[in-house]
Amino acid sequence: MQRRDFLKISAASGAVAALEGCGNPDHQFIRFIPEEDLTPGIATWKPSVCTLCGSGCGILVRVMQGEAEVIRNGQVGLIKMGVAKKLEGNPSHPISQGKLCPRGQAGLQVTYHPDRIKGPMALTGARGSGQYQAISWDDALKKLAAELGPLAASKQKGALTFLTVPLGGQRKTIVENFAAAFGGVPVEFELFDRSVVHQANLQSFGIAALPTVDFSKSSYVLSFGADFLGTWNSPVAQSMGYGQMRRGRPGQRGKLVQFEARMSQTGANADEFVACPPGMEGAFALSLAHVIINDKLRPANAAGAVASSIEGWSAGLADYAPEKIAAQTGVNAAVIVRIAHEAAANGPAVALIGDIPTAQTNGLASALAVNALNSLLGSVGKPGGIEFSPAAAASTSAPAGSAVRDLVQQINSGANAPKALMIYRSNPVFATPPSWQVKDALLKVPFIASVGSFVDETSILADLLLPDHTPLESLLDDSPSSGTTRAVANVAPPAMSPLHNTRSMPDVLLTVAQQVGGDVAKSLPWKTYEDAVKASFAPYAKQTNGSVTGKDADDFWTKVQAAGGWWSNDSAATPVRAGKSSGAVKNIAAQFDGDAGQFPFYFLPFASQMFYDGSLAHLPWMQEAPDPLSSAMWSTWIEIHPATAQKLGIAQADLIEVSSQHGSLRAPAMISPGVAPDAIAMPIGQGHEHYTRYASGRGANPISILAPMIAENGALAWAATRVKISNVGKGKLVLFGGSLREADIEKEPR
Amino acid sequence: MAGVLLGVSFVSWLAVERPLTAQAPAPAAEEDTGVYTTAHSSAYAAVREFFGIRSKPVQPIAFTHQVHLANGLQCVYCHVGVDQGPDAAIPSTNFCMTCHIAIDTDNPEIKKIAAFQSRGEDIPWQRVYGFEPSAHVKFNHAPHIRAGVDCATCHGDMTKQTVAQRAVNHTMGFCITCHQQNKVSIDCVTCHF
Repeated sequence: MQRRDFLKISAASGAVAALEGCGNPDHQFIRFIPEEDLTPGIATWKPSVCTLCGSGCGILVRVMQGEAEVIRNGQVGLIKMGVAKKLEGNPSHPISQGKLCPRGQAGLQVTYHPDRIKGPMALTGARGSGQYQAISWDDALKKLAAELGPLAASKQKGALTFLTVPLGGQRKTIVENFAAAFGGVPVEFELFDRSVVHQANLQSFGIAALPTVDFSKSSYVLSFGADFLGTWNSPVAQSMGYGQMRRGRPGQRGKLVQFEARMSQTGANADEFVACPPGMEGAFALSLAHVIINDKLRPANAAGAVASSIEGWSAGLADYAPEKIAAQTGVNAAVIVRIAHEAAANGPAVALIGDIPTAQTNGLASALAVNALNSLLGSVGKPGGIEFSPAAAASTSAPAGSAVRDLVQQINSGANAPKALMIYRSNPVFATPPSWQVKDALLKVPFIASVGSFVDETSILADLLLPDHTPLESLLDDSPSSGTTRAVANVAPPAMSPLHNTRSMPDVLLTVAQQVGGDVAKSLPWKTYEDAVKASFAPYAKQTNGSVTGKDADDFWTKVQAAGGWWSNDSAATPVRAGKSSGAVKNIAAQFDGDAGQFPFYFLPFASQMFYDGSLAHLPWMQEAPDPLSSAMWSTWIEIHPATAQKLGIAQADLIEVSSQHGSLRAPAMISPGVAPDAIAMPIGQGHEHYTRYASGRGANPISILAPMIAENGALAWAATRVKISNVGKGKLVLFGGSLREADIEKEPR
Repeated sequence: MAGVLLGVSFVSWLAVERPLTAQAPAPAAEEDTGVYTTAHSSAYAAVREFFGIRSKPVQPIAFTHQVHLANGLQCVYCHVGVDQGPDAAIPSTNFCMTCHIAIDTDNPEIKKIAAFQSRGEDIPWQRVYGFEPSAHVKFNHAPHIRAGVDCATCHGDMTKQTVAQRAVNHTMGFCITCHQQNKVSIDCVTCHF
């Protein structure tokens, strides 16, 4: 539909609403016969699952009869249907516990987004031009089967590459089986894949998953750059636990110490903030361990086999004595000693490591150091310390951090290059450094199809668009691998009927598999996605210790969907196992691209509360929501320390050019005392070239200037670039609150 | 004296039914002004609202309540949900056709309904009762039905109505009087919110 037609619709429906008794039915909109039998004005709350990050929070969706603009048989009109109006956390859900983060709230806008792909489309212009024309589903599926059929027959390994965001539940199974039928495995890519922490936990505890921490039982929290109240791991569950930690136990407030170079939202909540230079997080953890061991607060062997990953542990970690760390970082040695003593004396004490420290070249070493510290403190496997959810038990191998780089190499190799690419919501063209040349590589693949709901920098390269329903219009299932030690199996039927001519992605794969036939069809034996999910829930029907029970399998299936899932009544944490250690990791210092003389500043991109990794920048509520620390909206900005700003003659909102060895960008300055004087911080998420009307051409993308540094496991080390900056004029900063309240920064920079 | 005459003739001029296309039209469909207010598009429209003068609705189908009620239908048979929620729903084309697939099929009005159904369209009924957006009134049917208020109290004797008319003038006084007599809330936010 043209934008003009869409505006026609909006204006006309506005006119219909006016109460002058418009008089002439011939000038009315077409109204389609309602397909649902709803009592108007009565709302029901339906369970669903938020899928905007990996936490898997259970939600409730308020559904009421409303009018939606839809297309039926090629005609635009209004229809009365049940429409989702508000999202809230599901109070019965063990992870969300009735709460929802701001991103989850904005999930509503995904469904009603004006720039959603509304039906299958075929490319008419050059690749990447964004010129598509609408086609029917029959044609689209025929085209896809025609492209994939010969590949299945050729039996070439890896003939099809399935590039996707990390998946769970039966979607994951179906995608894996689909890819395997073409001799490949899905390539899972998202910027915050946390593969470094997975790898570290595999080596230390035999479980390749993020930890679950019940903060309500913690007494002392050492967070090394983990924004656990905002963007790290399972923020809603963690925030609920944190609230209990602070106020749930009369007389006890617990203590939070945050070690990071750029104060995150979590850091702003800390009782104590230690300015830790980038890359030194692991060193700080080992310094604390040094004090604990040398002051005999714990025996050195309390850390057990986990410490075997740390070079020099058994020799007493002499290199990490507080005085040595103090000399390297400027942090007072006495502070380190005191914190170590406090942590040892106040159990359970738990240490966490977050995204920026693991996005360094020594990320794995730092994560292993934190694991060793936890083991030393005795908090592993205990409530209030590091635990693992029941679903994590199945995580016995860590995802390769290098999956996208390997894909690029495979494509460029020529011989075994994939002949077809399917894309599901993953956006490496936006979220990898230009030097990885992901876009150039993808363009070489002969056939590309996207099954996501939006056009973004990656899916705009597709020849064929087969849009998925949005989550509120979909059957959803998954078992989140962190957030609670109770077993959780989410399942929820669609909260509303599809607004547009979209189809459920797993059902599209099943249909194409049937059309292609042969081994492909055999590997996907379900007729529909619902059949697959129902079958996967059969084991839960036999459980007696959970939230839902049924007379028989069908009764259980009805009840479990009505409840939004099944969860165990009691905690069933996966016990830690012997780690798959590969020997001691040298505690190498972090490497940074760019020599410190020419590029004096560490460049610290950070996960934005609102845009996360940029995948939510298309939601206007997220653009409108002020950043919690700076109150900036609809903007990108560079955080600069006041002393640095004064030295360089930079005032608030001045336009700054930030240059690395690999590129430059411009954004306005935000003077912030929360960033180290030798660092520049920048939120990730803006700077989209193609991502709906709300995000396209807005702001700048910090990933576009990153050096191709990698962590030990091959993952992108996105916090390992150094930059230089210069003031290039006046910029524009849109702030909700005016300025950071901490001192009057324009008058007295520190 | 002349002023009074002028005033009276002015008001009666306003009251003359005139198709609304003669007024200043809503913004042309191409230009969505982006301004959504309860303000009026012309002084004429504003004055009409002030005096409570509204156009007679023109219905696409000449539905007569009289005929249907005479045949024994109750109000709630079609206006489902009136005792559960705020709205008295008008049923869909499919609902009408459950009877009219067989009843009175030669009637041209019934043929029109059948045509709507074959196109998958719902009938674009024009609203008869309601309040101006500027009044910010949210009326909820359910408490009234549950309190035993008869439909005819507010909608008039429908057994005498052919095409739906505004038989009862819903001024604020009309509502308040009944509320006072029945000793229920006359607090502002009961209705205006």
